[in-house]
Amino acid sequence: MSVLEVKNIYKSFGKTEVLKGIDFSLEKGQVLSIIGSSGSGKTTLLRCLNSLEFADKGTITVNDTVIFDGDRKTKRSDAELRERRLHFGLVFQSFNLFPQYTVLQNITLAPNLLKKDTPENNKAKALKLLEEVGLSEKANNYPCELSGGQQQRVAIARALAMDPEILCFDEPTSALDPELTGEVLKVIRSLADGHMTMIVVTHEMSFAKDVSDTVIFMDDGVIAEQGTPDEVFGNPKTDRLKAFLASYNK
Amino acid sequence: MTFAEITLFLANGFALSLIIFAVTLICGAPLGLPIAFCSMSRFAPLKYIAKTFVWIIRGIPLMLQIFIIYYVPGLLFGRPIFSEIDRYILKYYEIPNDGSILQLLMTNMGGLIAVLIAFTINYACYFSEIYRGGIESISKGQYEAGYVLGMSKSQVFRKIVLKQVIKRIVPPMSNEIITLIKDTALANCIMIPEIIKQAKELAATKALIWPLFYTGVFYLLFVGLLTILLGQLEKKLSYFKD
Repeated sequence: MSVLEVKNIYKSFGKTEVLKGIDFSLEKGQVLSIIGSSGSGKTTLLRCLNSLEFADKGTITVNDTVIFDGDRKTKRSDAELRERRLHFGLVFQSFNLFPQYTVLQNITLAPNLLKKDTPENNKAKALKLLEEVGLSEKANNYPCELSGGQQQRVAIARALAMDPEILCFDEPTSALDPELTGEVLKVIRSLADGHMTMIVVTHEMSFAKDVSDTVIFMDDGVIAEQGTPDEVFGNPKTDRLKAFLASYNK
Repeated sequence: MTFAEITLFLANGFALSLIIFAVTLICGAPLGLPIAFCSMSRFAPLKYIAKTFVWIIRGIPLMLQIFIIYYVPGLLFGRPIFSEIDRYILKYYEIPNDGSILQLLMTNMGGLIAVLIAFTINYACYFSEIYRGGIESISKGQYEAGYVLGMSKSQVFRKIVLKQVIKRIVPPMSNEIITLIKDTALANCIMIPEIIKQAKELAATKALIWPLFYTGVFYLLFVGLLTILLGQLEKKLSYFKD
C-alpha cells in the first residue's frame, strides 16, 4: 500500500509554470530520491507536499486520505493546514535552526507547544534523537556554536521529533563544505536502514544511487524518467538525463 | 541663588523632561507595533493609510506637531481644551508655590498633555519603522521551519520570530531612545518648564547664562545611564547569533 500518492500536480508562479503534471507514489519505508538541474521544480514539489506552497491542480493523498485537492474551492483553515503538515517533516537546505534556543530546545519546542507528550517525555525523546545523530554532547549548545554539518544533523533530529510519516530533505548537503556532507549523509543513510519513509532532493548522485529505492529525474517541471537507481543511473533513456548525468562525471 | 539652589531649580525642570521621556516611551513603544503591522498589511488600503500617516508624522518637525496639537482644538472647534485644563486645575485645586515638580506639573498640565500626545504619536511612528525593519529582516526560513513542525502563525511569531526581532532592534531603538530625551527640550516651544525652559527663566529673571550650559550635564548623565542599561540589554541578547 502506498503511503503517499501524488497525482497530476500543476503549479505556476505568475506566468512561469514550474510543475506541469507530476505523478508518483511512494511505499512505506522506501526512499525516493529526486534529481534534476536547478529550476526543474524539485524544491517546489517538496514545498507543495509540505503545504508551504499550494498546487494549482492535482491531489496529494497520504495513507488513503486526500490531504490536498486542487479542485477544492473552500478555504483551508489554519488548523487543517497544521494537521496536514504533520504528515511530513522537512529538512531545509539552510538548516533554519532557531538561533535563540539550545540544540535541545530546538528539538523540544514544537513537541512541547503542540503537547505531543509530557515535557519530560519530549525531552527524553529529544535526547535519544540527539544520540542517534551523534550529538548528545551538544544538547546545551546554541546553533551558532555548531558547524554546518552538526546544525543539519540537529535539524534532522528536530524534524524526527514530530514523528512525521514521510521525511523530506531539500538538498540537505548543498549548503555544506564538502568535508561536512559525509556526516549528514551518514545520518540519512542510517534512517534509510531503519526504514524511514523519505523523499530526498539531492545533487549527491552516488548517495542517491546507494540509498534510494526509486529515483526520479525531473526536467522542466515534469518527471522525465523514473525507476530504480540501476535503471536511472545505469541505463538512462532520455538525452536530457544522459546529459545531466554526464555533467556530474566530468 | 546658590549653586545648590540653581541645581535644584534645574533638577525640577529635568524631572519634567523625564516625565515626557517616560510617558512617550511607555505609550509610544507599544503603539508603534500596530502601526508596524498596518504598514506591513496585505490589505492595501490599510497599508497605504499607515504608510501615509508615518510619512506625514516623520515629515513634519516635531515642534510643529506640538503646535498643531496644542492650538488646533481652539482654532477649529473654538475649544482651546489644553488651556481649559490649566484653568480648571487652577480653579479647583490648590497649587503649591514652592517651585517643586508638583507645582510645575499642576500649572502646566494642559500643555503637557498636548506635548505628550504629539511626542507619543511621533515616536510611535519612528518606532513602527524600526519594528517593521526588524520583522522584515527575519528570514522566511525561520517561519517555514516553524510551520512545517506544525506550529501556528502566532506560535511562530511569539516563540521564534519575536526574540530575534528584539535582538535586532535593540541598537536602533537605543539610538531613538537617546534622541528622545534630548527632544523633550522641544516642549519649551509651548512654555512647558522642562529643564531648558527653566534655565532660560534664570537667564531672564536673574541674568544668569551659565545655568543654560549647565543643563547639558543633566542630559549627559542621563544618557550615560541609558547607554549602560541598553548596552547591558544588548549584551544579554548576545548569547545567540543569527
